[in-house]
Amino acid sequence: MTRPGRDDDPDRLYTVTRGRSRASSDAFDLVTLVVSESDATPGMQSEHTRILRLCQYPTAVVEVSAELKLPVTVVRILLSDLLDSGLITARHPQTAGSAAHLPDSNLLEQVLVGLRNL
Amino acid sequence: MTAHTRPERPRPQRPAKRQMLLALLITLAVTGLTWTVAVSLAEDSVRLPLAWGAGAAAVALCVAVPWAVHGRAETRRLTAELAERRHRLDDFADQEVPALVGRLRGGASTDTALGAARPDNNAEAKVLRTLAEEVGRAEAGKAAALAAGAGAAARLQALTIGMLAELREMEHRHGDEDVLGDLLLLDHRTAQAGRLADSIAVITGARSGRRWSKPIVMESIIRGAMGRIGGYQRVRSHSTVNVAVAGHAAEGVMHALAELLDNAANFSPPTAEVHVYVEEVQTGVVITVEDSGLVMSDVALRRAERAVSARELDLSALSGTRLGLAVVGRLARKHGLKVSFRPSARGGTGVLMVIPQELISRPRSPEESPGRATPAKTVPAAPAKAAAPLPSPTPAPEAERPVPPAPVADDRPPATREHSPAESTGTDELPQFGESGLPKRRRGRTLANANRQERARQDRAASAPAHSPAESAARFGAFRQALQGRDRATGDQTELSPREKSHPEEHTP
Repeated sequence: MTRPGRDDDPDRLYTVTRGRSRASSDAFDLVTLVVSESDATPGMQSEHTRILRLCQYPTAVVEVSAELKLPVTVVRILLSDLLDSGLITARHPQTAGSAAHLPDSNLLEQVLVGLRNL
Repeated sequence: MTAHTRPERPRPQRPAKRQMLLALLITLAVTGLTWTVAVSLAEDSVRLPLAWGAGAAAVALCVAVPWAVHGRAETRRLTAELAERRHRLDDFADQEVPALVGRLRGGASTDTALGAARPDNNAEAKVLRTLAEEVGRAEAGKAAALAAGAGAAARLQALTIGMLAELREMEHRHGDEDVLGDLLLLDHRTAQAGRLADSIAVITGARSGRRWSKPIVMESIIRGAMGRIGGYQRVRSHSTVNVAVAGHAAEGVMHALAELLDNAANFSPPTAEVHVYVEEVQTGVVITVEDSGLVMSDVALRRAERAVSARELDLSALSGTRLGLAVVGRLARKHGLKVSFRPSARGGTGVLMVIPQELISRPRSPEESPGRATPAKTVPAAPAKAAAPLPSPTPAPEAERPVPPAPVADDRPPATREHSPAESTGTDELPQFGESGLPKRRRGRTLANANRQERARQDRAASAPAHSPAESAARFGAFRQALQGRDRATGDQTELSPREKSHPEEHTP
């Protein structure tokens, strides 16, 4: 059904990002959760509007990318725009943060040795 | 002409001869009488010389007077003929030749065009033939050159469209920022090359690059136009209207706007911004392009207006570097756009382009579609997705019961909505079935869309608690049979059965 070049949208990606190919912040990786902090205002770029509406509940960057049908890099540029203007917040999934709270490896090693000795 | 001018010519000759004869007779009579009187009255001594002298004089007079009369008649005749010839020459220059050239321009062959001409004489025929051959050759050359240009432009367009699609695919595939940056650069260059190819196609009269199968929203129109010019980063768009341009005209509008933006960007300082405003008016949508560059003089403004409003494209007025306005003019004629120029309050030039109401449709934006269109239905989930695939079977029946056609009206993605309001009224939301019994797709809608209500109804029927216990038991039995892997034929049959059964039900609720 989709012939190449026929059914995609007329706007090119560089007009979506206004010529940038690099996100201004490193806050986003694929699984960063994004939550919108305010509603869309009229006159906003339509991608921004869609992101804000999509991220009313925490949504991963990769999901936003799939929903908008845009490459992740482009989505990260759009997200960092929104982050810079304070319309969204981003946080990393809990697991990444909790890695610091794991028992330290010495203790684990001792447990392992203990188990082997049983 | 020859036929009705020939008899006129001898007519002045006959009265001339008669006049001559009359003059001769009168002269003879007068001189004869005078001579006789003079001779009879003269004295005898002078009678003989007088008779001779007067006789000779009378004879001379008799020759001279008719001669003079003849000369006068001849002069009058020649004057008349000269006037007539001049008149016919004027006719030839004013009517015959332009008519011949017109016929040749209209596409007639040299012989056909000459056949319709009526030259008066050999010289005119020769002139007409030479002219016809030369003009015919020039016209054929022009047509061949245009066709060659159009063909080349069409191939170039196909090439760039393919390249753009591939580039987009690559942009999706390569996540690396450096690679993406390079791809975007190539994308931009290709889009500009595509615009040039489109311009050549428009000027040579070929069809424009592509047709969009759906209305294109204004934001995409502006961004699509921006993407085709070099200095797109200087373009600022201020648009809050929520309208879309019909698919068949979207490409033309985008191209015309791109040319106007390019002009604005090229004729303003490299750091100045170009502003695009969109507003809705009674007659359609006005797009204003304002730059803060050079102020166009009155003469230049008038020339630009003429270029975009000329009836026929004058190929000789084209120059290699300034195709823009000619292209805009041609596109404006094709799609009924109105383009006008005026000095801008920003200090540069403002261009207004009016897109007529016929080309405008109003897609419902996702956030307002549920509430306004079908107040009876409330959609709690997935606010961002008006184009959500299918209503989930469980909550849908309760919500949808009161207004059966509503879900379809709502489930259609906003972009595919046709711009004529009549088309979205209830009746044609129903899927139509052709003679073959298969659902027919309406233009501009996907089959999945056209068939959506059918499927929604099937879903409803499937989830409705209308099954008798026996039927449920039969279904469960079929399921078990399928699980147990009994022979395929019966398995297929029983798998089909619930669907077949659900069909008669759809008429009951």
